[in-house]
Amino acid sequence: MGRRVALGIALVALITTSVGVPPAVGQTPKRGGILRIADREAPSLDPHLSVSFITHTWVSMVYSHLVRFPYGPEQKHTADFSILPDLAEKWEYKNPTTLVFSLRKGVKFHNKPPVNGREVTADDVKYSLDRFMAKSGFKSRFDQVQAIEAVDRHTVRITLKEPYAPFLNHLASPSYAVILPREVEQKHKDFNHPDAVIGTGPFVLKSYERGVRVVFERNPDYFMKGMPYLDGAVIEITPDAAARLSVLRAGKVDLGHMWGWLSPEDGKSVKKTNPEMVITPTGVIGQGKIYMRTDQPPFNDIRVRRALSLAIDRKAWNDALLFGEGCVDSGPVPCAMKDWKLDSATLDPSKAKYLVGYDPAEAKALLAQAGLGRGLTVPMFHWPGYAPPWRNYYELAADNLGKIGVTAELKPEEYGKYISTTYLGKYEKMAMGPVTPFTEVDDFLYGVFFPEQSNNRSHVADAELNKLLVAQRRELDPAKRRDIIYDIQRHLADKAYYVYVPNPPQYITHPPHVKGFKHHDGYGLGMRLAYTWLDR
Amino acid sequence: MRQYVLRRLALAVPTLFLVSVLVFLLMQLMPGDVVTRMVEGHAYAPTLEALRKDLGLDRPLHVQYLEWIGGILLRGDFGRSYWTRQPIWDEFVRRFPVTLELALLTILISVIIGVVVGIVSAVRQDTAADYVGRILAILALSVPYFGLAVLVVVLPSIYFKWTPVWTYVAFTTDPLENLKIMLVPALVFGVTRAGPIMRITRSALLDVLRQDYIRTAWSKGLNERAIVLRHALKNALIPVISLVGLQTPLYIGGSVIIEAIFRLPGVGLFFFEALTRLDYPVVQSVNLIVAAMVVGLNLLIDLSYAVLDPRIRYR
Repeated sequence: MGRRVALGIALVALITTSVGVPPAVGQTPKRGGILRIADREAPSLDPHLSVSFITHTWVSMVYSHLVRFPYGPEQKHTADFSILPDLAEKWEYKNPTTLVFSLRKGVKFHNKPPVNGREVTADDVKYSLDRFMAKSGFKSRFDQVQAIEAVDRHTVRITLKEPYAPFLNHLASPSYAVILPREVEQKHKDFNHPDAVIGTGPFVLKSYERGVRVVFERNPDYFMKGMPYLDGAVIEITPDAAARLSVLRAGKVDLGHMWGWLSPEDGKSVKKTNPEMVITPTGVIGQGKIYMRTDQPPFNDIRVRRALSLAIDRKAWNDALLFGEGCVDSGPVPCAMKDWKLDSATLDPSKAKYLVGYDPAEAKALLAQAGLGRGLTVPMFHWPGYAPPWRNYYELAADNLGKIGVTAELKPEEYGKYISTTYLGKYEKMAMGPVTPFTEVDDFLYGVFFPEQSNNRSHVADAELNKLLVAQRRELDPAKRRDIIYDIQRHLADKAYYVYVPNPPQYITHPPHVKGFKHHDGYGLGMRLAYTWLDR
Repeated sequence: MRQYVLRRLALAVPTLFLVSVLVFLLMQLMPGDVVTRMVEGHAYAPTLEALRKDLGLDRPLHVQYLEWIGGILLRGDFGRSYWTRQPIWDEFVRRFPVTLELALLTILISVIIGVVVGIVSAVRQDTAADYVGRILAILALSVPYFGLAVLVVVLPSIYFKWTPVWTYVAFTTDPLENLKIMLVPALVFGVTRAGPIMRITRSALLDVLRQDYIRTAWSKGLNERAIVLRHALKNALIPVISLVGLQTPLYIGGSVIIEAIFRLPGVGLFFFEALTRLDYPVVQSVNLIVAAMVVGLNLLIDLSYAVLDPRIRYR
């Protein structure tokens, strides 16, 4: 890993300030109108004290970050996680462990007391990042941070303990380090009170009636001139999924889900009742997998794991449950992460078959070789409450495994137990479920395969792999990092540490008068809506 | 009478104490814990420990219990939500009118439907009207209210692009709009609760109609209307009122689902979301408040018997 190369990228990382060019897709965006959304209620509002994706989606309307992901016309695809300026207009790697950010001048907080529209300074950035590192459930994202310093009013220097490629992605992620005004915490103790929600983002929180609705209106002083197009947005709190779909069908809201998602079943059903709806099937970051205690028998035997993977008829699965629209090659890097994904078709077929292949005969032979020719019985722990098609997933997996003589006993768990045990890798033998759709590829690699990580649910410990996992984290040159990540995927192809199952698409659905609403696989809604407009 | 009320109130103390202990222990028995829930799958030890300490969960159970119950008894402080960190009592007070209105409308609707159909069924026993009434009652009993609620919300949206789900408006803000929003959920809930009321009304009325004083009334030459409504119904209503009283916890329990489906920001929804988030103080305090209300309501119902039947004495 060349330090000189990393320095070279510093120049690449220098990005101009001119973002926010209005989209030129044939129609000129119209200003005005209120976008109405039906969705569940966020459990709380403080972005650092909550790890709820609903909280982060809500408050992304209001807050900015140092840097951000591209949205709307800026994004190349739905999982485009290039880094764009947000509150920082430019940044530079002074060396592989020192990042210097230059803040935009004259950016104002929302005009609400006690902040009253004062300018954002480097002190706010330092305060916010320090608070994130002290209080957030996600603070391990910043484990590599050594120091954060406000060099002057508009300059922030972040020193890392070692080169850490995922860092800018973490800074940009709407789930982590939003920039907050310090005096609010002094007044309100935390950022949970609606009056405490004061940011620099495209929308201002105008009112919040718990259990009823939360109202946002355009930030007139937003630093991207002319944005957002909407006068505002309202989230009508609708806890029940059937009710959300009904209000969408009845035209009472423009989005029946905060990201416009519908399951393929619901999407097809809405297409019948409301043919005017614009419905875009979209592959999203996501992953379903069977995980096993690879540190214990029988799954410490690679032949048993390979047999399990070969037992899954992914094509039939995709056709039966996902209308053939899902992604079959769904791991270890999710399909939607196009910038990092190595297509299994390019892998050595003799290895790739253990990743995506279907061969029950070989599976049985492998089990026999492992001394399990008479079959085996294992539990399959899971939480049955995940949205459809998950309920069918467990049964289909058990059915597929049954055909090679592996009896998977379905063991449903209550959510509290599941999320605090099985989901953290504390289970016996085998379990199944989806994973958090992170925006940084490192979370699907290092986080899932490196020893002692909470998402290493299969208890993988692979010395050769560990070297690669660490190397990709330290490589700051995106092209070189991608090569290592490709190597990791080649290495993992035939290991079957996890057995991946097809990933369902989401149907992004809204009425035709909603324009410019583009799906993006982060938890940011604010910028998505900043580019959205209404043609009524 | 006064002694009776005082004794009942004294008896409520151990009841509520037991409720508080039970609820507290049940919450502890629930699998998983709130801290892990807060950080979901992203838990890592220092955060967990810090959060646990922050929420006071690192202290022994009896200390946690005493602090909670002590806050209520000494300061009237029902604690704060772990998630929103807002006072529970304030949130309860804000939400209670919604649930109360839903419950009152539901009781009103179920009593009107149940009593009217019950009277017709009893007075016209074994006629076509009786059979229709009884079939309807069984039907209402066997349809789960949450199933009916989903159908009422979903079907019109598919066939008529219309749905009876609105954004809640408080009664004090706009009474008409509020009633429009509350009517459908109350109807759905009320219809499914009318079944038992109808059956009780019918059998009680049949019983009363066979009594001597009714025969006397007939022989006086009174018309049927006066006999049924003025003489028989009043006595037949006592078991109906007991039933409504017994069903009160059901109205609160049912409001959980009804409020979620129809987007009503009431106590039921508050309780339900707290339960799914393992927000212990909210679940405990709301449970205790509701238990106190049920105890109080049962007392009121027992007292109301005297109004209906002056022969009843309280000792």
